[in-house]
Amino acid sequence: MSQDLTRRDLFAKVGRGTVLAVLAGGAGFLVKKANGQVVWQVNASRCINSRLGEVGVEACNLCTTECVVALSAVRAVNEYSKCGRCNICPAYFNISSAVNEQGQPSEKLCPREAIARKPIGKVDPEDPANNFYEYIIDEEKCDGCGKCVMKCKDPLGLGSITLRVRYDKCVNCNSCSISRACPQNALMQLPVEQALQPVVLKRTG
Amino acid sequence: MQYRHVQAIGGKGAASDRFTATLRGLAVDVHGQLYAAGDSEIKVFDAAGRLKRRWPTTSPVHSVAVASDGAVYAGQVGQIEIFDGLGKLLDTWRDAKLFGPVTAIGFTKDSVLAADVADRAIRRFDRSRKFLNNIGKDNQVKGLLIPNGVVDFAVDAHDTIYAANPGKHRIEKYTPDGELLGHIGRFDGIDPAGFTGCCNPTNVAVRDAIFTTEKAGPRVKSYDFTGKLLAVIATDLFDANCKNMSIAVDARNRVYVADTVKLEIFVFEPVNV
Repeated sequence: MSQDLTRRDLFAKVGRGTVLAVLAGGAGFLVKKANGQVVWQVNASRCINSRLGEVGVEACNLCTTECVVALSAVRAVNEYSKCGRCNICPAYFNISSAVNEQGQPSEKLCPREAIARKPIGKVDPEDPANNFYEYIIDEEKCDGCGKCVMKCKDPLGLGSITLRVRYDKCVNCNSCSISRACPQNALMQLPVEQALQPVVLKRTG
Repeated sequence: MQYRHVQAIGGKGAASDRFTATLRGLAVDVHGQLYAAGDSEIKVFDAAGRLKRRWPTTSPVHSVAVASDGAVYAGQVGQIEIFDGLGKLLDTWRDAKLFGPVTAIGFTKDSVLAADVADRAIRRFDRSRKFLNNIGKDNQVKGLLIPNGVVDFAVDAHDTIYAANPGKHRIEKYTPDGELLGHIGRFDGIDPAGFTGCCNPTNVAVRDAIFTTEKAGPRVKSYDFTGKLLAVIATDLFDANCKNMSIAVDARNRVYVADTVKLEIFVFEPVNV
């Protein structure tokens, strides 16, 4: 049978196969896009603001400056189950500022005042140090600059705050401008189910 | 007062006098021998820093203390193993309810104290191991404020208990019955007399003064009993990622501090100036 295959037939078959493959691939890509199966996410173990062992360096703000979305599609997220609910939170206060009359740092860390602090549980009005506090990030104010992330990480803090891509903001560019700029290759395309998993920091390098 | 760094003991490695993965607890006995709890082992060093003996514990060890009779207590998760001075296992004290990770052990004249970090409390038992009371737990927040994973305390010659309460930036003083007598310390990110960060000091020792260690950045200091800063003993020797650095002080006021990343014990001596 193959001996009967003319050169014209062969080219026609190969051509049809190629067109079908291209169409199938494209359709698969579009389906994937439509389902949001592959999305951008910050790998916290690579991000210099959150990765363990990286101390004494300035916070990186490329997620703020490089993202095409207004303010950035990357926001700081506090995972409450990991938060120590500290009285003096280094992600909320500028702990290097002068102490005020209440015995707290007089300045806040976030330049956009995107973090709110409120006592939770049984409150001791006599001794503020005797309370737990919840730190709530207002994502409409946050621009993902990473300052709070850098100050929250171990050993200074517990690493409960990390940078995360917010999918109601991200436009899922094929070539994410943050990923192109990030020297740590911390922006990765991941399947949705993987991208939405809680952050587990692993020591790298 | 000033101190100088005089010696480094241990370090990371497979040799018998080194540590593989962890260095969590230090204690000194009346003879000036240094006991180090690291990996799943107790190591005993003489005053010159030479390894004298070592013996295994059944699980990773979190703390070590030496009783007045020379018995060596090794705190682990859910249990304390008790050895004689040569490393022979005398007993295993298990208490699934009252012992989480036992991160510090101490003694008053008539009782044994064990820090249970899972419940953020110090447990007090009589010598027959009958539970007597908690220390540091019956406050507004039902426990010491411990975001750092270690409850540490020390006992002075008068049976006063000095507990690190890092979430409050204080060393709290308690009676053995658990009554809070007061505290020293305050938050300050600039003045070295204060404790900085979210949660410091993490560890404490008591001798002629109160000695503390802090994390981020690692720092060792001493205070008098009114809370006045006496000395910043060391800052820059330690790995910047160190935390929960155990501290012990011998009768000559030599200060031993565990670097939990380099797995090295740094020794400091007071200098008369």
